[in-house]
Amino acid sequence: MSSILELNQVNVRYRTNHAGIHSIKDFVTTFKNPFQTIPILNDISFQLERGQSLGILGRNGSGKSTLLRTIAGIIKPSSGTIHVEGNIAPILALGAGLELELTGYENIHLLLSLYGRKVTKTAIEEIAAFSELDDTTLRQATKCYSSGMLARLTFSISFSHDCAIYIIDEVLAVGDMGFQTKCLNKIYELKNRGKTIIFVSHFPDEVVKICDQAILLEKGVLIHQGLSADICQHYKALF
Amino acid sequence: MQSINQLYALSKRNVILRYKHSLIGFLWGFIKPMLYLFIFIIIFSAQFSSVNHYVLYATSGILFWFYFSNIVSQGVQSIVQAAGIIKSVQVEPMLFPLAEVFTELFNLILALLIYFIIMPWFGLQFSFYMLWLIPTLILFSIFSFSTAMLLSALNVYFRDVSILWNTIQPAIFYLTPIAYTEDLIPQKFALVIKLNPIYYFIKLFRYPLYSSSSPDSYLFGICTCISLGSLIISYFLFQRLKNQFITSI
Repeated sequence: MSSILELNQVNVRYRTNHAGIHSIKDFVTTFKNPFQTIPILNDISFQLERGQSLGILGRNGSGKSTLLRTIAGIIKPSSGTIHVEGNIAPILALGAGLELELTGYENIHLLLSLYGRKVTKTAIEEIAAFSELDDTTLRQATKCYSSGMLARLTFSISFSHDCAIYIIDEVLAVGDMGFQTKCLNKIYELKNRGKTIIFVSHFPDEVVKICDQAILLEKGVLIHQGLSADICQHYKALF
Repeated sequence: MQSINQLYALSKRNVILRYKHSLIGFLWGFIKPMLYLFIFIIIFSAQFSSVNHYVLYATSGILFWFYFSNIVSQGVQSIVQAAGIIKSVQVEPMLFPLAEVFTELFNLILALLIYFIIMPWFGLQFSFYMLWLIPTLILFSIFSFSTAMLLSALNVYFRDVSILWNTIQPAIFYLTPIAYTEDLIPQKFALVIKLNPIYYFIKLFRYPLYSSSSPDSYLFGICTCISLGSLIISYFLFQRLKNQFITSI
């Protein structure tokens, strides 16, 4: 089996800027550089076989979202290589890329174009149908939406296109039960069709259900990798 | 090809957002310059009774000043405001300031239509020289885009840039012979005016729109150099700065 995703000693560093009155004082008095480089991900290496799904676990701020963005090609690693076979669906995170002043329909148009997809009438109808949001709701500005409704909209837009890899970043938590079940069914269906799912969640049980493999991140270091059931035990032991 | 679709989607978003909750919407593109003109007429008309067709003279400058200043004011914020998109979609960050140019171009074209309807009463003469407006507008758009692109990148790291821009914007406006004529500038300030790139563009726009003649080829050359030079500099600086955008917005 060939690997669909391979990361080799990937390092990601952020350059932060402590611009502010203190940084000016420091700069003037001690010539301290206002830009500092802080490591977010250190030497991450793993590979994922075709048709397998990966769960990513870790505390808040352990670098999960940064890892997802690096895999999706949004962040370029400072060093190391990433190899991806096939196309990646856009990251599914709460409210990702939505323009809150625009209506639901306008957002569908905008995001489909930004994702590089054809905006067709059927595509929009499919998205509207999957989201179960009615026509009046979709004509409203998305700033009036609840977080569950926003999750429905982003989920439906992201899943409307055929990709090899789907990245899901903690979105299932806010939908109501009906929509959660629907999303999980959609995820199982994608899995059965041989798609790869990369899934971040704080619910280990969900990770065990969806993913074959899992990794555990702690302060930007990959501390455990292996079968998802084992990794979930490690994750639970953290707390 | 994908970038063109993305650019179109972003420009369309800007157009929708710009006047979302406004009563008269796009008319503002023309009414705002007209309000300025009105102020000038009240303040300066006694001073400028010597200027031939003062309304035409001032309008031909004000329209393009607002084109430039809107592009830069919106553009400087464009990347910071696109944080949500940049963090979740793979998209070339340069498209955000560029989309502002197209948004304003759309506005300007509507304003120019009104200009061509109203200005014949104030002495505008239609002629083939007006076609010079197109290359001039292209050069000016390149310059405006370059300025917006550079400032938007710097604004990611230092939000002071947008504050600074808003502060010096009126100064640049009054340093440019838009509402007054060039011969009013005292000799000792002539150099300051000549260092202002917008001065050359505004002057170039007046050939097709005010004096109905073909532009001075020397002036056209200067403007070409300014726009291409600024584009090259901004482009390379932007390429250097863009890799760290995501970590700073």
